[in-house]
Amino acid sequence: MALDAYAAATDEALLTLYGNGDPSAAQILTTRLAPRVLGYASRLLGGDRAEAEDVTQEAMLRLWKQAPEWRRGEAKISTWLYTVTTNLCTDRLRKRRSVDIDAIEEPADGKPSAVDGLIQADRATALQDALNTLPERQRVAVALRHLEGATNPEIADILEISVEAVESLTARGKKALAMALAGRRKELGYGED
Amino acid sequence: MAKTETDLLDDAQLEAFFEAGREEVPELSDSFMAALLQDAAQVQPQAHAFAPKRAARPFWKELVAQIGGWPALAGMATATVAGVWIGFAAPDQLETLSGGVLLAGDYASVDTIYDVQDFAPNYFGTDLLIEEEG
Repeated sequence: MALDAYAAATDEALLTLYGNGDPSAAQILTTRLAPRVLGYASRLLGGDRAEAEDVTQEAMLRLWKQAPEWRRGEAKISTWLYTVTTNLCTDRLRKRRSVDIDAIEEPADGKPSAVDGLIQADRATALQDALNTLPERQRVAVALRHLEGATNPEIADILEISVEAVESLTARGKKALAMALAGRRKELGYGED
Repeated sequence: MAKTETDLLDDAQLEAFFEAGREEVPELSDSFMAALLQDAAQVQPQAHAFAPKRAARPFWKELVAQIGGWPALAGMATATVAGVWIGFAAPDQLETLSGGVLLAGDYASVDTIYDVQDFAPNYFGTDLLIEEEG
């Protein structure tokens, strides 16, 4: 089946196929890219799934519209998508701030310990809570670097800053995360000695 | 109590959180996937838009193509003009070549110059026919 043959194709090749009217390419690309975009948007938006889906839908739609003009080698599709998603999320966060400044969740630090030895999902939730406490750009840089696997030059492209500035942002972000999560160390299965 | 440097998680501990975060890839619901694919289908360029359009050719161009193009047409035109010219000019050479059959003005004289036997093989002569009749 054609889908099997397409599974090995690069994102760029699939987007070109889509632009040429191939009906299968969109399905493969969506399966490949949309969950990553959704996960990333969800992280930036503080875990709001519904809003993250809106952002994902908009980002993917922009990708499809971009397909006929896409030039090979110009940019990686994943980098392009992260840029669009970052901008869409930033816009929404700004609107959210202007509407209700009290809606920001308090850091989860200090919550009572629920169970001994939390499972991975709880760690992921704790991480999300800690990420929510970071300044926006630190959150973006840390999420891209440590969760999405983007390189520093790619993050520099996405945020339109220098590589040195990216390194500084991620370093400060990591330190703030370590601080935020330290209070839950015992709860999350790390003894405090 | 203010946190000190020793309260911080080390890199390995922090990495465990990142790992948990990376494993948390959201699954798309069927309805959301369908919505995404519908968007993709709606704005997708159609394949036929890229196929070169076959221009409609006028009847006479089609006819010329069927005959064999302009060279064939030129050959036919030459033959036609030559035929008309021969008809009007009646060149003497043609009469010489054809032995007076084609262009002799006085057709009665043809009989005096050539007999039917001149055009038929000798072995198929009239003697044989006469014997059968007898």
